[in-house]
Amino acid sequence: MHLPDGLLDPITAIVLWVVTIAFMFFGYFRIGRIFEKEDSEKIIPYIGVLAAIIFAFQFVNYPIPGGTSGHLVGGTLIAIILGPWASVIVLFLILVIQSLFGDGGITALGANTFNMGIIGGIIGFYLVMLFVKVLNFTSLKKELKLTIATAIGSYLAIILASFICGIEIAISGTIPIQFAVPAMVFWHSLIGIGEGIISALIVFYIYKTKPDFITTESILGVI
Amino acid sequence: MSFIKRNKWPLITILIIIITLMFALTVGFTIGFLSENPDGLERVLIDYYGEEWLDNLFSPWIPFLSWLNNDYIAGIVGIVLSVAVLMGTFYLFSHFKKRKLK
Repeated sequence: MHLPDGLLDPITAIVLWVVTIAFMFFGYFRIGRIFEKEDSEKIIPYIGVLAAIIFAFQFVNYPIPGGTSGHLVGGTLIAIILGPWASVIVLFLILVIQSLFGDGGITALGANTFNMGIIGGIIGFYLVMLFVKVLNFTSLKKELKLTIATAIGSYLAIILASFICGIEIAISGTIPIQFAVPAMVFWHSLIGIGEGIISALIVFYIYKTKPDFITTESILGVI
Repeated sequence: MSFIKRNKWPLITILIIIITLMFALTVGFTIGFLSENPDGLERVLIDYYGEEWLDNLFSPWIPFLSWLNNDYIAGIVGIVLSVAVLMGTFYLFSHFKKRKLK
């Protein structure tokens, strides 16, 4: 879903840059909770691990039927682990590094962060929260509630991000909306299955082995 | 040095995970599990305009690391860069937040 340079018109690209900068600026002030504890520095190496995992998984394209491929975006995954606001900053930094390799454009960096960090991260996080609340009515174990909610939330976040991406392309006049949106949503409804499974497995593993690392557990309301 | 001493085990964990990821990339590229097919967005653009159009989009810059044609090397450099940039940024955040609290 990495938009290259030259695909968006200048106004759309600039507007999405401004929105992304505003979210990151606001996000910086909202991520204080992670660093309030005395030993909060201990989380920094794990952020490094998370960065490595996200970069590697975004690099790994798994085959999708129909001659296409998919890879993890990881916005919802990061939002569950570090919080929704941190996910925007983490995704932005990873996308900057990827753009150095030519994967995603520099002028489209704002749009890419908007789609993957804000829609995939923040909206994805609140979708997971919603599904956790629904699953709290069941007698499932805590880790299963979080895992299932992560799978569904990540999947829907990818579809929503692809829908928004399709609209951005259409607004820019690159492809008519009647082709861009259905095609984007169709392919990402297949690609999103991988996103949901990988995100859910990683969250399940962390929750089982190092639950403290999921800093949003109380916000998500897993009971 | 004190940061390294205090975070010995997390740093060892990072090294193990990075080595595992590199190994996974090597195996993935070697046995051909990884797909060279276009991703979702590229597929939509190719279906509408064709592959040549996508290759000729205007870009105002040449990505600094685009000369790295070997996927495996690019993967390793990317992982190392990601770890350094993310850890550095969040270390600075932590530093400024704590200084503010004092």
